[in-house]
Amino acid sequence: MATDHKNSSISNEVRLAALQAQTRRHFLQSLGGGLGTLFVGTALAQSAGSSNAAPRPESTLDFTRDASTPLSVLPPQFPAKVRRVIYLHMAGAPSQLELFEYKPDLKRLDGQDCPASFLAGKRFAFISGVPKLLGSQYPFHQVGESGHWISDRLPHLEQHLDEICFIKSMRTDQFNHAPAQLLVHTGNPRLGYPSFGSWVLYGLGTENQNLPGFIVLISGGKSPDGGKQLWSSGFLPSVYQGVQCRSHGEPVLYLDNPPGVSRPLRRDMLDAIGQINQHTYSSFQNPETVTRIAQYEMAFRMQMDATDAMDIHKEPEAIRARYGSKLGEASYANNCLVARRLAERGVRFIQLYHWGWDSHGADAKEALNLGFNDRCREVDRPTAALLSDLKERGLLEDTLVVWGGEFGRTPMRENRNGQEMKYVGRDHNPGAFTIWLAGGGVKPGITHGQTDEMGYEIVKDPVEIRDLHATMLYLLGFDHHKLNYSFQGLEQKLTSVKPARVVAEILA
Amino acid sequence: MMRSQVGSQRNRLALILLAPILVVTALVAFLPPDGNERALWLQFIGRFHPLTVHLPIAFVLLVPVLEFFGRNPKFFYLRPSAGFVLGLATLSATTAAALGWCLGRSGGYSGPLITQHMWGGILLTIVCWLCWLLRTELQEPKAAYATALALAVGLVAWTGYRGGQISLGANHLTEVMPSQLRHLLRVSDNIDSVVSHTDPNTFYGARVQPIFTARCTACHNADKHKGNLRLDSYPGLMRGGKHGPAVQPGNVQASDLLRRITLPVGHDDFMPKGKAPLSADQVKIIELWIAAGASGTLALDAIKNAPSATSAPVAEVTFTDIDPAEVTKLRSAIAPAVAQLQKQFPNLLDYETRGSADLRLNASLLAAKFGDNELQAFAPVADHITTADLSRTAITDHSGPLIASMKRLRVLRLTNTHITDATLLQLGALDSIESVNVFGTPVTPAVLPAVAKLPKLAHFYIGETTIIQAKSVPESLAGKLVY
Repeated sequence: MATDHKNSSISNEVRLAALQAQTRRHFLQSLGGGLGTLFVGTALAQSAGSSNAAPRPESTLDFTRDASTPLSVLPPQFPAKVRRVIYLHMAGAPSQLELFEYKPDLKRLDGQDCPASFLAGKRFAFISGVPKLLGSQYPFHQVGESGHWISDRLPHLEQHLDEICFIKSMRTDQFNHAPAQLLVHTGNPRLGYPSFGSWVLYGLGTENQNLPGFIVLISGGKSPDGGKQLWSSGFLPSVYQGVQCRSHGEPVLYLDNPPGVSRPLRRDMLDAIGQINQHTYSSFQNPETVTRIAQYEMAFRMQMDATDAMDIHKEPEAIRARYGSKLGEASYANNCLVARRLAERGVRFIQLYHWGWDSHGADAKEALNLGFNDRCREVDRPTAALLSDLKERGLLEDTLVVWGGEFGRTPMRENRNGQEMKYVGRDHNPGAFTIWLAGGGVKPGITHGQTDEMGYEIVKDPVEIRDLHATMLYLLGFDHHKLNYSFQGLEQKLTSVKPARVVAEILA
Repeated sequence: MMRSQVGSQRNRLALILLAPILVVTALVAFLPPDGNERALWLQFIGRFHPLTVHLPIAFVLLVPVLEFFGRNPKFFYLRPSAGFVLGLATLSATTAAALGWCLGRSGGYSGPLITQHMWGGILLTIVCWLCWLLRTELQEPKAAYATALALAVGLVAWTGYRGGQISLGANHLTEVMPSQLRHLLRVSDNIDSVVSHTDPNTFYGARVQPIFTARCTACHNADKHKGNLRLDSYPGLMRGGKHGPAVQPGNVQASDLLRRITLPVGHDDFMPKGKAPLSADQVKIIELWIAAGASGTLALDAIKNAPSATSAPVAEVTFTDIDPAEVTKLRSAIAPAVAQLQKQFPNLLDYETRGSADLRLNASLLAAKFGDNELQAFAPVADHITTADLSRTAITDHSGPLIASMKRLRVLRLTNTHITDATLLQLGALDSIESVNVFGTPVTPAVLPAVAKLPKLAHFYIGETTIIQAKSVPESLAGKLVY
């Protein structure tokens, strides 16, 4: 009772302050505006009514929700093959030629001058003059019934190749890390567009209201070049943005109550703030106010659930060993284990970032023969364990796992300033790269697309980033034209304005 | 006196205009359009042809109108203007013809349609000039003038029609003609009369020509042969284009056509220019055919290893619109119950899609807070539930009969629950079920015979149960057990 009284006195104070701030000028202003809008409103309604005599069939989908529950679940447009996505982004662009692209001809020509036809009209980040061709640094072998070729760097993942679908003909038009990563995540190389996860959250909502529906986990150390824009909600209401969590310690900093503040006291505080925000919302109708309310409430609920979801201490020793997880560090292995726990708890979009794949060969850390090995070791076992775990628990049948970087690497050895470098590396190649998908709705054990004998350019079935996005949305139950949001006079969509194609060949 | 002076002035003008007419005629005669693209300036100027060409049309058609109404004394003043209009017609026709030549010569055009349109324009210019001259010479219009004028009108109609065919397509008038009129005029219903006639029993006719027809003939056809190449028929292909033969029988390396379709997309010589490259199968078919001698009569089954026609492109994904009225009807029986449950258990129950009345239940998020009593609340909609995720909930075998009544269930998840064999043994009637998950439950191998009878079952998830140690597994479950 006492708290109620306290709340109402605060909100009364607010109301009084607001009324006192009203002047005669304000009153007259709103009067004129009000009359004007009244007229415009009627006029518009009439003209709209006359031109739209017959309602069209559902040409755009309705994503409106009750203002207090912006994350509530909405059914997909069509039968969905997957309910959630785990996106394993390898920032820096791993070399496809050291992992999945078996090119014996390139190996044969290793060390020879690159033919002029490869260089004509091309621009590189660092290659200059005439570089040498560079064969794969690691031996390849064939695996499983699917007969996929794979190098010896991923011994754990190779046990899953019969469940994986490769797209070896991915293409991008971006050449540098940040814009290329933006393109992969938001469908657009410029800032300000919503991330894939935000679109999915906007379209489908999330079942577990006690956890964010879009969670981002980074393997410690460096953030991707694209920065937080990669999981931003762009022009969508910011309640749909990705929430970056930590895989050790508090999952979200400052989530816990400070010393001396009890949970009931926090509840009272949120109620009072909520009422004030509700006043603000009813006067200004700004959806960001609703976002604010929803975020406070979510944080309050997360105090209980997030810690549990992220706590890998609760996993048995055997499971942690399978991932190669070490407690108390920020690592890809721990993140993969957390990703599985989040998938079980109904989180819609789980985005992992690993980094350090930018194998130019400028120093030991980014050399194909040194640092690259470490990267492979870091991702191999956890990725394989994640696939095994999802499969055993029956989650792989409605989860989509995607693994890939932002572009590919050249079949030429990087020769910064035209000099042979101490370490072995490759430059950026936006013209061709490899990603793989596994899970619901995807044909397992196949390869889609093909590059030339050098792994340099696509010769068959190119797949643009927007085609991949359209395909992923299709698996989630959407026509990519229909998942849209009105902004700046356009029905904005993830796949933007160029025509995108659902890659029907990889659908199971 | 005045009159003859005016007359002689016109004569002089006419003679002056004769010079450009002859120049244009000479250009058309000696430098005809040959299918090559040329200097941008020439092309730019040529682009004004469609604009100017409408002037002579209007002027020529105006002359008979002036002549006809001028016969009426009330409109006598119209007739003297006819000569002036004829002069304008001649001038504008000459200009249009000159621009037309620029366009034809530089825009990569050639073919009979172009030739006919071009000579029609030249003839029209000359006839206009003649009309003008005759009109000036004669005090009273005579038969010669009338004939020339009629000829000019006829030429305008014919040349204009041909021009329309170039810019709008050969059937630009007939394609949208109402069927009654079509019947009246006896225009054939088969609009597309430009189909190439090839023998479908030959490899060329059945496999090669369809590729050209689909991908190449938009620019290399009878009426428009860019690069002076036609790919709408076997003779056209073998004749080649401005760069010589397109195909060297038996010699794949020397065949320019094959070289061009296999170049990288951005290359200057790449074909089809500005379009997606031919598919690997299409290239293979053409390559095999050239290697086999590029014969027009080779039997269809002569080339054994050709990519089969049945390996057609994968069916594209199509999307259908949802009809809200239809959906409302479909859901009418359960909608109130569903709305009630959604209120009681937010975010637990929803429709599978926006267009269906199938339901998806996910109680796993409530975990221990969801037990047998809560599940009972869903009994009214049980036979619409197609996916039920009850993982980690507190349900027990008391819910067995309710789960068994979910007749249309496809996916059932009981991960980490207290469900035992008793529930599993009741599921026999679920003939749509595809996936059953008992991961981490006390379920034992005793259920295997019953589970094996489920007709559509594809996956039985048995991790962390004693089933993994089962001594024998029914044959029909082979490959379906996942752990």
